[in-house]
Amino acid sequence: MTERLQLAIPSKGRMMEQATGVLGEGGVNVRKTGNERGYRGEIEGIDNVDVLFVSASEIAWYLKTGKAHLGITGADLVQERMTDWETRVEIIKPLGFGHADVVVAVPDCWLDVRTVAHLDELAGGFRAAHGRWFRVATKYVNLARQFFVGHGFNDYRIVESLGATEGTPAAGTADLIVDITTTGATLKANALRILDDGVILKSQANLVASNVAEWTPRIREAQNEIMSRLGV
Amino acid sequence: MVAETAREFEALEAQAQTLMATFGNAGHEAVAPAALQPADVYLDVIGEALRARCYVFTDPDGDEYCLRPDLTVPICRLHLERHADGVDKAKYCYNGSAFRFQPRGANAAHPREFRQCGIESIGSNEREKTDAHTLAIILEALKVAGLNEWKLRIGDLGLFRALLSAIDMPERWRERLRHQLWRPQAFREELVRLTEAPASHVSGMPDKLIQELAPDKQDEAQRHIARYLDQQNIELIGIRTLEEISRNLARIAADQRAERLPVATANLIEGYIGVNAPARAAGARVKDLMRDTGVDISPALESYHKRLQLLADLGVDVTRAEFSAEFGRSLEYYTGFVFEVLVPDLGKRSPVAGGGRYDGLMRMCGAPADVAAVGGAIHTERLLKAVRG
Repeated sequence: MTERLQLAIPSKGRMMEQATGVLGEGGVNVRKTGNERGYRGEIEGIDNVDVLFVSASEIAWYLKTGKAHLGITGADLVQERMTDWETRVEIIKPLGFGHADVVVAVPDCWLDVRTVAHLDELAGGFRAAHGRWFRVATKYVNLARQFFVGHGFNDYRIVESLGATEGTPAAGTADLIVDITTTGATLKANALRILDDGVILKSQANLVASNVAEWTPRIREAQNEIMSRLGV
Repeated sequence: MVAETAREFEALEAQAQTLMATFGNAGHEAVAPAALQPADVYLDVIGEALRARCYVFTDPDGDEYCLRPDLTVPICRLHLERHADGVDKAKYCYNGSAFRFQPRGANAAHPREFRQCGIESIGSNEREKTDAHTLAIILEALKVAGLNEWKLRIGDLGLFRALLSAIDMPERWRERLRHQLWRPQAFREELVRLTEAPASHVSGMPDKLIQELAPDKQDEAQRHIARYLDQQNIELIGIRTLEEISRNLARIAADQRAERLPVATANLIEGYIGVNAPARAAGARVKDLMRDTGVDISPALESYHKRLQLLADLGVDVTRAEFSAEFGRSLEYYTGFVFEVLVPDLGKRSPVAGGGRYDGLMRMCGAPADVAAVGGAIHTERLLKAVRG
């Protein structure tokens, strides 16, 4: 990828529409090249940019490894996939869509649990009663762990969950969850409640730059052009 | 870390042979437990924080394993394989690799992979004697390997536990403090909270409901809570039973009605935590603290002095030992005596050897009950560096 800026954006669904929409509003018009089903594109009027249509969950990895110079992805994925995200990437601009919170939620019937500190106090008794630590279902393994470390809570086990996480406490496969929520309706429907201090991250889609990608002067120029059109 | 040079390898091997010979002469059987360990045991002992410190991974069967971060847990598991109830007496020694993730980057003093050489004594109920022997053997091995200049840092979690047991307070507060023993900052906060407002942390809970709960009437409390959930249209889900939830709410209710922890009591605990002195003087200082407040922990103090005397009888220069009440609070499996051997050149963060008593670990590894156990390990790369100067 000599001398060409690689811009990674989500490859399908609402995320792709919103990403191309926001770019378009700023005059950065993305056009697919070749086949309509293909995964490559270009930007009108900036000739040394390749647009890569990538699965939304992989864009963070493209930025982390430097395969892309710029990308559009959620803060949740940036922070989950890179323990050292602050050095690897730079958040250039929040884009105003894809709003969602990563939260800790417990069964609403746990009247005695409002905060992480309460979980910590209960952990010993829970283990004595059930022969195991609390199980936390999540796909945000790293975010959950960092958050709990920061709150001095350590007596739990993570159960990795890649879907239907909200259902795990009722099903008995986990006791509480760390998951993403937009309106909280799904949590409520599953008889769960967000802890009072349980918002781990308020996430939205961001334009992100990779610090580890190879930046040549020509690629910088292309970036500057994109950023000035977007008003950054 | 790049592979060791052949020369380093030979130097470490030769040193290990010297150390192992000393351990063997002291009656310790050489064993070689597996480097790959089921992550479960470690996760249970250390908690999820393990993942931030160790190499944990999932094998093709979906089972979680880790590269051992130390050799103590593997030795406990090996002992249990031989003796199902774990109480049989045994003395082991080992030399092998241990692996730790270094979040601030690996370097010579804090490598990802290093070799530990050490001993464990399991099943001996003469605790002070076994503590003293363990430390004396480690020091002897260091001496044979050529290390003469060292300082000793010691601690005693037995004293701390005795203090918490002897102080007059509701059992549930004691449990809260014991639970935070491993986290000095959280422990202090808990202590302050108990002296200011033991139940201040209930905001957001159903106040009126809690007011109605009488701690000694469990059935009634459960009925109250069931009715409340019903009224609020809250479904009872998950593994925690209504009984568990109501028992805990009743404790909270009790906290709301309880007197605060007297400030003098909190000061006593803080005073103890602050003790930092040469080993013998420290014992006297703790004794003074207790006498002034009328708290009796004399069996634990006698045990402390007895251990020191035994160390002196074994030829250990205890004037080189510094006691710190805080020491030992970072690794959850220690239960009593703890020690660290420091070499001036390597600094305080890089002890050349360390160890302690871990009477609860065998049970965590699967024994039916606690088993008396104590051990110590030498960081062989650091020792080699210290000896070469």
